Amino acid sequence: MPDKKTARLSLATHELADHYLSGRIGRAIQPVAFTPAPEFLAQAPTPNRHYAEAVRLIAAQAPLRILPGERLVGAATLKEAMQHRMPATPFGSLSHSTLGFEKAMQVGYRGIRAEIEARMRRGGLDEEGEDLLRAMRVCLEAAAVWQARYVAAVEQLVSDSAGEDKRHYAGVLAALRRVPENPPETFREAVQALWLLWDFQRLCGNWSGLGRIDKMLGPFLRRDLEAGLISIDEARELLAHFWIKGCEWITAQDRGSGDAQFYQNIILAGVDEAGVPVLNEVTGLVLDVVEELHISDFPIAVRIAADTPEWLLHRIATLQRLGGGIVAVYNDDRIIPSLVRFGYPLEEARNYANDGCWEILIPGKTRFGYQPFDALLLLQETLGVSAAEASPRQNKAECTEWIARPRGAGTLECFADFEALYADFKSRLAREVNRLLDERPFDKAPCPLFSLLVDGCVERGRSYLDGGPCYTVRSPHAGGLPDVANSLLVIRRLVYEEKSLTLSRLAEVLSSDWEGQELLRRRIQADFDFYGNDNAEADALLQRVFNDFTDLVGATRERHGVLRPAGISTFGREGSGFLPHRTATASGRKKGAILAPNFSPSPGTDQRGPTAVIKSHCSVDFSKLPCGTALDLKILPASVRGETGLQALAGLMRAFVRLGGIFMQIDVVDGALLRAAQEHPELYPNLSVRVSGWSARFATLARDWQDMVIARTEQTL
Amino acid sequence: MTRGVEPPPVTGWVYDIQRFSIHDGPGIRTTVFLKGCPLRCAWCHNPESQDCGVEIAMNPGLCIGCGRCLAACPRQCQAMEAGRRLFRREGCLRCGACAASCPVRALEVIGKDRTVESVLQEVLQDKPFYETSGGGMTLSGGEPMAQFAFTLALARAAKEAGLHVCLETCGFAAWEQYEQMLEVTDVFLYDYKESDPVRHREFTGVPPDAILDNLRRLDERGAALVLRCPLVPGYNARDGHLRAIADLANGLRHVQEVNLMPYHPLGEAKCDRLGKESRLRESRFPDESEVSRWLETVAAQTRVPVKRI
Repeated sequence: MPDKKTARLSLATHELADHYLSGRIGRAIQPVAFTPAPEFLAQAPTPNRHYAEAVRLIAAQAPLRILPGERLVGAATLKEAMQHRMPATPFGSLSHSTLGFEKAMQVGYRGIRAEIEARMRRGGLDEEGEDLLRAMRVCLEAAAVWQARYVAAVEQLVSDSAGEDKRHYAGVLAALRRVPENPPETFREAVQALWLLWDFQRLCGNWSGLGRIDKMLGPFLRRDLEAGLISIDEARELLAHFWIKGCEWITAQDRGSGDAQFYQNIILAGVDEAGVPVLNEVTGLVLDVVEELHISDFPIAVRIAADTPEWLLHRIATLQRLGGGIVAVYNDDRIIPSLVRFGYPLEEARNYANDGCWEILIPGKTRFGYQPFDALLLLQETLGVSAAEASPRQNKAECTEWIARPRGAGTLECFADFEALYADFKSRLAREVNRLLDERPFDKAPCPLFSLLVDGCVERGRSYLDGGPCYTVRSPHAGGLPDVANSLLVIRRLVYEEKSLTLSRLAEVLSSDWEGQELLRRRIQADFDFYGNDNAEADALLQRVFNDFTDLVGATRERHGVLRPAGISTFGREGSGFLPHRTATASGRKKGAILAPNFSPSPGTDQRGPTAVIKSHCSVDFSKLPCGTALDLKILPASVRGETGLQALAGLMRAFVRLGGIFMQIDVVDGALLRAAQEHPELYPNLSVRVSGWSARFATLARDWQDMVIARTEQTL
Repeated sequence: MTRGVEPPPVTGWVYDIQRFSIHDGPGIRTTVFLKGCPLRCAWCHNPESQDCGVEIAMNPGLCIGCGRCLAACPRQCQAMEAGRRLFRREGCLRCGACAASCPVRALEVIGKDRTVESVLQEVLQDKPFYETSGGGMTLSGGEPMAQFAFTLALARAAKEAGLHVCLETCGFAAWEQYEQMLEVTDVFLYDYKESDPVRHREFTGVPPDAILDNLRRLDERGAALVLRCPLVPGYNARDGHLRAIADLANGLRHVQEVNLMPYHPLGEAKCDRLGKESRLRESRFPDESEVSRWLETVAAQTRVPVKRI
């Protein structure tokens, strides 16, 4: 039921939201019941042709779904798509990018088709290019077929209904007929067009971020408002339906990490290519909708800067305080200059979005990938410590970054001082970074549908995965830096300053997981001011590790035609699930403990509150980190009560901007509530929390992920 | 040639510095908690703040029974008898050796003698946050006026560093001292604990006259005031007192806000750890409907904004 304080949406819209959020729609989705005909496959089609044929079949045969009262139509109704696969084929699908919806809205499918035709006429494409562009053309035709099926179905509904229903369907039909084949002309057409553009990709298994929705839709709304074609309340209802339909895959039975949000991030505010603020009516309406429906399935990040108006920060704070971490912030004042410094043209930098999670990229022009590695494993190598467990990924060449390589025994004494030990760690860091920088990510897997909405693919006659986009990005992502810095702090003091134990002895203690050394471990935890406490000594070590990593990556802007911006993340690797071979750490962590998520403090080590965390976090020079990182800040509801609480949250965000941070998500959440939800998930089906940049329904997370969230929550009080 | 001898730096007993305090004045603040208080309120939730100087707190829940403190204590105050931890405070010198030996912070030294400069440096660490939120430093306690020289010096140093300063005070100090604080204090968070003089003396240990007198004189001098009113079931949470709060606010010209502070019984646990006895009659959190009624009752009788803290 709508909350009285914020109720602006109709009861019918609330009922529709409840229907989607219950998971009934998602659970009803069936596996695909068709595949390309044997005769077609017998012709040994190219992968692109095979893929395009499947797109054609999906468009023609995927079940339609039109719910009563829905103001937008189009539905991604195939189970394989929910599983990140291309339905009806053996092929995989794509995510971790934001497609060029903005351009597609400007030119329509017809503009893209014209571009393809022109490119083919111009000639000079090789056989691969011809093959790709033909497949892209088939995909466009298929998209038109899918849209035409919805047009026909709604026409039928119009003729079968009467009165209010008839008027409703006629309205749906009017907005649907021309788009997205043609550029939309009204706000309602624009919302419908964006939905169809995005959801057709989803139907075929591709999970794209949405990108800058207020920038794309705002101008249409302003024009319609001025012309008196729509009221602000009607516009809000339309956007609410967009949000509700974004929950079409909720099942509450997801596997894996259980993140039900499918990398469908949305960006608000910021500036346009010319540097003009985007902030418009749609920005406010989106926040209205999220506040009222509390739908977290489109994680939102607002681009803020020193000149962001106070009311917007208050709106963000209000939403943050609802819990769920639905709204995060990016710092334009930091990010735009660092993208320019990295080498992007200013106009491109101003238009940044993310990959559907939080990594920064230029939407509609970028093939994005990141290469995670764990810096703690490198320190583990330096110390010659290894766990009994093998790396779970040893057989996968692309994941060798997760293998700790053993070192020769008895060599620790060669580290005469801390600098010698650090030099060894740094050389291993350099080895790892250089290996990553040398990777060639190009791939011949078919993806003509995705390539349709990425600039450069048509012109170059190469797919999204094969060097087609304007920018192909592989970002080396370090994990574990806070725990490395904390460990080095302990080693330096105990081994080299106090000399209260030798390095060999410490290595034994870590190998044995602190066996018999509980007092020493507790003492370390109690006595050290680690990263996250605004302590100059601890932060200086973090800065050193950070600088060495970013300098190593920064020396190579581009290699093999691939951009290499540095990033810092863990995305769940702070838990032991991915890294069972990580040992205990010198910072007093036992083996298997949950470590620092992304670039946030290690759970329990930050004891001086959120301002100290932000100060420590922002003590590094983030202009050296163009791919970005995340600070996950958890705050107890009681500490941000009342109007003062909103002021405080706004103050935290403003200070984060001033201190030069990149991305911060504030989660106002109570540890006790999360524990209750873990025990009784049935009572909290829609409780959402933000995990690694995308928010998730807590109840759908795997238990070890829930533990990570709880650990982080309870410690930052 | 003679060299000038610098006066010794002003120091004060500080027992905690809390960053991101947001209910002790406007914006994001750092609250400096000073030791020493002339009052002995029955409901005191910071009993560790009452005495000046060092105290030793023990939290048996954290103790892991390692026995290091037994060896560390020069007076054998720490003991283990029949599996139970004992802290015989009679002989305690408050030297802190036990706490220094404790690996898990089950024993802690409360209170540290600090210079104005060192406290100010710590407070200034959050300056960017004060600037973005309209916050600053709040002096609290204990009773900051109990260490007047230090409080004045710290507030003055903070003002010179461009900070907004709040003073949280019980009002029980010489007027001449408050007069000096006027210049270096932006907002006085002024306690109003009990309207009935007899009860006031009984519950807090002192008569209310000087407190009310100081309050009126601050108001006459135009000081920005926030009335801070603890409401404790079993003591002062009655309609007559609620009315008196509103009357007091109405009778003064510069009260910006009335803060009602529903009592919480967390001070009791602290008493146990300090070896002090709690004097509470009732030990419970007031329920929400009770608190709402208090808020409404006061708000209905005054034009000054009433907030729950």
